[in-house]
Amino acid sequence: MAKIILDNIAHTYEPNESNPIFALKEMSLSWADGGRYALLGPSGCGKTTMLNIMSGLVNPSHGKVFFDEREVTSMITEERNIAQVFQFPVIYGTMTVFENLAFPLKCRQFPEDQIERKVKEVAEILNLQDYLNNRAKGLTADQKQLISLGRGLVREDVAAILMDEPLTVIDPDLKFRLRRKLKEINDKYKTTLIYVTHDQNEAMTFADNIIVMDQGEVVQAGSPKDLFERPQTTFVGYFIGSPAMNLYECSASSKNEISIGANSFKVQTNINNSNSENLKLGIRSEYITVENEHSDNSLEADVIEVEDFGNYKLVTASFDSFKIKAKVKRELDIPSEKVILKLPAEHCCIYEDNKLI
Amino acid sequence: MPKLYTFLKYFFVVLWACFVIAPFLWAISTSFKDFNSVTGGATYIPWLQFEPTLDGWSVLFKPGSQGGINIIGPYFNSIFVTLTASLISIVLGTLAAYALSRYTFKAGIVKNNDITFFFISQRIMPPVVLSIPFFIFLSSLGLLDSLAGLILVYIVLLMPIAVWIMVDFFNRVPREIDETALIDGCNPFQAFFKVVLPNSVPGMLVAGLFCIIFGWIDFFFAFILTFTKVQLLPVKIVALNSSITPWWSLSAAALVSVAPLIIVAFIVERYLSKGNLSGALK
Repeated sequence: MAKIILDNIAHTYEPNESNPIFALKEMSLSWADGGRYALLGPSGCGKTTMLNIMSGLVNPSHGKVFFDEREVTSMITEERNIAQVFQFPVIYGTMTVFENLAFPLKCRQFPEDQIERKVKEVAEILNLQDYLNNRAKGLTADQKQLISLGRGLVREDVAAILMDEPLTVIDPDLKFRLRRKLKEINDKYKTTLIYVTHDQNEAMTFADNIIVMDQGEVVQAGSPKDLFERPQTTFVGYFIGSPAMNLYECSASSKNEISIGANSFKVQTNINNSNSENLKLGIRSEYITVENEHSDNSLEADVIEVEDFGNYKLVTASFDSFKIKAKVKRELDIPSEKVILKLPAEHCCIYEDNKLI
Repeated sequence: MPKLYTFLKYFFVVLWACFVIAPFLWAISTSFKDFNSVTGGATYIPWLQFEPTLDGWSVLFKPGSQGGINIIGPYFNSIFVTLTASLISIVLGTLAAYALSRYTFKAGIVKNNDITFFFISQRIMPPVVLSIPFFIFLSSLGLLDSLAGLILVYIVLLMPIAVWIMVDFFNRVPREIDETALIDGCNPFQAFFKVVLPNSVPGMLVAGLFCIIFGWIDFFFAFILTFTKVQLLPVKIVALNSSITPWWSLSAAALVSVAPLIIVAFIVERYLSKGNLSGALK
């Protein structure tokens, strides 16, 4: 187990081009020993490249990788002692389930009795104990993925377990249980878990720390709460949360006040550069409330749609030419035409050039 | 409709089966006929329409002094040369194909695909173009009219087939398999031998089948590069021909020479038909 440090890492797959496209733009990051991380971002944002750099499958074109104090940049995968689980099940089709799970231990020449004990333990966690003697080839897709996962879990001494959207092919119920199992494993063995996903719910429920990436850059790293309440960029606001953050172009009317069309709103942010043309107001639909009468920071909107999701209602309305979404309690009666919505000042985030002020 | 479809399906399958099997039946019946039965009009049923005889078959095993051609020696030569050349081609071809599939090679404008094409291009040329270079090559090595010389030439001819089939096969084996093996603690060689190779047996069998077929049926190089000391089956069979074509012994020889291929095809067939070529590991 080790602390993993990425020091000024950048990567391009076309190092010989004069103007290469970077899959990963220059960044420095460190992953604490025993931490539980989620790497979140849309497809093609560089998540997998980052994992492959850590596991040694890809040699970064720039920068260095350290495990604790030890530089591992040019070290081959075999020597890094890292476990990685891919998005699609990878099994050794000619071997049995037992042999598959035992393979990483056999390669590292663990004693037979220890292999047997550990394989049985992991098989039990993954509900594979009845299939140990079956050929891995004949199993279903999710069982195969459990095997892939199991091969990552049999070694207790790994520097980290890297998981690249490992639960994509697994059904929701088992997915939930496995996520909990992974948390337990992390608590018990203090193994660093790095979990790549593009599903924000998965990231929010699994990790202590979430790293959001976009177009080869880390746009924000923090706890699920930070990401939800104070998204550092409009991208994070838009990407995290369901529905996405409400975002409006606005202009500053004073240091603590902005206006959107004819409506003006007080905010707690100090807008120093009030001449900026690229100002945006962002607010989570969870924080918007439905009021009976006008007050500060309220606006009147035309109701477009009210959707009942069982545990909450989602109100979609429009003011000026903007759309606004509010997540409200289910019991609340929503007028069918006009509704007064309040945007609490403490939850209004102001972005200049898409970055939080 | 489904009934009509089933009927048509079976109808064409049976038709095709007859089409394929008819020449074999014809060859079998001809091999048991004598001169009169072959030239006296079409006959099909032994004992009723013609008197079966083993003359056609016995010529194949009698020594030359008794008017036969004795194919036993050439038969084993053919088996030895074909199997050895195929085996070496598969081993070398598989290694080359794995490298071409997994690693990037670049020398100027030449890249992986060009190298693969270079291998295949060996088979694009008409064999006659290669005959003189091969002759000079073997003669300078002192390997004309020898089994080793033939094996060498056949490896050159068969390896492109092995490389071609195996490159395609490895390209369809997900790269993650190798990567997982590396992560699990193998070095690149162990990853190949412990994980990739066991999964590649179907592809190797198919490549092997093609190598054996092309090696076994070659007449041209066997004819040009051997004289008296070493002879292969196809060359020996041609020696049967004389002013009166001996259809009966030619039929027997054809059956004897095609038998090993049929046996090999039956063994490999299940790998061909199950779609196992794809390496389906996901």
